[in-house]
Amino acid sequence: MSRREGSLDPQTDSSISSLPHLEAKIHQTHSLARLLTKYAEQLLQEYVQHQGDPFGLPGFSPPRLPVAGLSAPAPGHAGLPAPERLRLDAAALAALPPLLDVVRRRQAELNPRAPRLLRRLEDAARQARALGAAVEAVLAALGAETRGPRPEPAAAAAAAAAAAGVFLAKVLGLRVCGLYRDWVSRTEADLGQLVPGCPA
Amino acid sequence: MPAGRPGPAAQSARRPPPPLPLLLLCVLGAPRAGSGADTAVISPQDPTLLIGSSLQATCSVHGDPPGATAEGLYWTLNGRRLPRELSRVLNASTLALALANLNGSRQQSGDNLVCHARDGSILAGSCLYVGLPPEKPFNISCWSKNMKDLTCRWTPGAQGETFLHTNYSLKYKLRWYGQDNTCEEYHTVGPHSCHIPKDLALFTPYEIWVEATNRLGSARSDVLTLDILDVVTTDPPPDVHVSRVGGLEDQLSVRWVSPPALKDFLFQAKYQIRYRVEDSVDWKVVDDVSNQTSCRLAGLKPGTVYFVQVRCNPFGIYGSKKAGIWSEWSHPTAASTPRSGSLAALLLPCLHLALFFDLLSLCISLVALHRFTLPASLLSPSLNLCLSLSSFLSSASLSLSLTPALSLRLTPPALASLLRPPPFHSHLAQATGIGFLEEMWRRSPFLLLPSISSGAQLGCYAGPWRGPRPRETWREVPEGNAVPPPPPPPPDAGEPPSPARARPLPGAH
Repeated sequence: MSRREGSLDPQTDSSISSLPHLEAKIHQTHSLARLLTKYAEQLLQEYVQHQGDPFGLPGFSPPRLPVAGLSAPAPGHAGLPAPERLRLDAAALAALPPLLDVVRRRQAELNPRAPRLLRRLEDAARQARALGAAVEAVLAALGAETRGPRPEPAAAAAAAAAAAGVFLAKVLGLRVCGLYRDWVSRTEADLGQLVPGCPA
Repeated sequence: MPAGRPGPAAQSARRPPPPLPLLLLCVLGAPRAGSGADTAVISPQDPTLLIGSSLQATCSVHGDPPGATAEGLYWTLNGRRLPRELSRVLNASTLALALANLNGSRQQSGDNLVCHARDGSILAGSCLYVGLPPEKPFNISCWSKNMKDLTCRWTPGAQGETFLHTNYSLKYKLRWYGQDNTCEEYHTVGPHSCHIPKDLALFTPYEIWVEATNRLGSARSDVLTLDILDVVTTDPPPDVHVSRVGGLEDQLSVRWVSPPALKDFLFQAKYQIRYRVEDSVDWKVVDDVSNQTSCRLAGLKPGTVYFVQVRCNPFGIYGSKKAGIWSEWSHPTAASTPRSGSLAALLLPCLHLALFFDLLSLCISLVALHRFTLPASLLSPSLNLCLSLSSFLSSASLSLSLTPALSLRLTPPALASLLRPPPFHSHLAQATGIGFLEEMWRRSPFLLLPSISSGAQLGCYAGPWRGPRPRETWREVPEGNAVPPPPPPPPDAGEPPSPARARPLPGAH
């Protein structure tokens, strides 16, 4: 496969699926990522509304606390080869569901009368799993190696969230929702570069 | 003083600050991007306080490199910067805050108290929970739908406004034995309700109560004791039909079916009907509809659309002595009363109406033309046909006065029988021995003469035939009249019988 960013060369690997099938799969996954990017934005807005000010205020800049097992897309991500980018996308999408579950459980204690927020968090976990699986299917169709199952850091994240004070739990939840939005958006962009005719 | 027992959280404001959370220990190995290297902790963490109380808090900076001081730090509460005068520097690394007369928390997740560095970056935060302990819930009411389940509703004490998340738990147990059970399906019929779907015993009382708990304490309602059979309700009656009562302009008939879910149980259902005019919001209730599945509404306005609903109370089920609980109202069913003064509203099919008037018109016109000889016993020099319609429109009867000797009055039931095909009965025929009307009816039910104009006054009353069949000689009918020629007289025709004085039938008025 060509190392040039954004290009596919099916002649280089005979194990790659037929081109029309691959293009359809990429197109479909790209559409899914685009839809989930919208949902991720809505989740973020819903989340900040229920935490109270200053969470929803413009200019609010909480500490960008690292989250166990997941980091934001690196600045150099866009320069990587397509399969590598998709592998990182798939890994992040696989790490997000347990973190979103932890956030949902904590928010169920803090905001029990916010059913829509809780439902969005639950949906986000499922959507992240679905998109991650779709990206791995694209990788398989590309003939690229997908990494094996990764240990989920859910236990560590859950313990940390339970022990954290309420303010810190709110900040961490915001961080996780932000990471979800960032990675889904990143995935949409990475797939978009593979879709014929789609602007890079 | 707040009601209920104080909870352990109420004492949290005075506890020493907790150790650094595990997450902070895990994540603070590397400097945080965009926030400098300073870290801080606010004490107390997440305190719970009564409305109107005060708070003393501190923000302690753990600077790295050393030199980070409390100078320049400031506080915000829910995003709003707090006045400088509320803060004071305790020492080089600690800034204190004093808040008095706290208001209730703005959001359930807690008010955000944040300690900021000089550049505005967030160093630490703590969430304040300011509110009231719950008051005793009251006014518990429960009902069982068809004896299969139990739903309870209650009112939170102090209208539920505690500014803190308050958890309500419905508990129940069999009165003389059994353990406490907790209802699990909440908010089924409103925010303070719970539904127990199954495993309920009949003929034995339950004890039911509600416990309210929040960070500041708890409260328990009084215990309600009930037997499921005493609080049974059912579905609204299905198949409610509303229809007109013949041509009666002020009545509607309502019919329904008893609720099928309880049809196998012995009970004396009570029903209630309510109805209103289409563009009104005022319902009228018919209360005394007991154990029937039909009812007639009277005294209604003519030509008006009415909405009608029915509900059922299955009281007395399995011998229960309690009043039972009314079901919901059925879906509204609409119907309209006939318009006032409509001939169709008073009489049966127009065909019969036209037929009747045609007969009468023919009779009058024939008399007027002297083409038809009435028996002398009937006619008098001052024959005065008086057709009275004045009361026609306002009453439910028609009366025809062929003064001075004859009068006919028809009430709707009598008119109905009058307008049917033969045999035709009338006092006229009885009184005069004239079988004319009957003969005309028999021979030619469709006569061409128009009905009486609206300006005419017409009254007609008829009753059952009482006399022998009259015998009469027929004269020639004017040409052009659709009446067929009379039959030849029977061989034994004789003197006409003496006319009896026309008198109204019993109940004619």
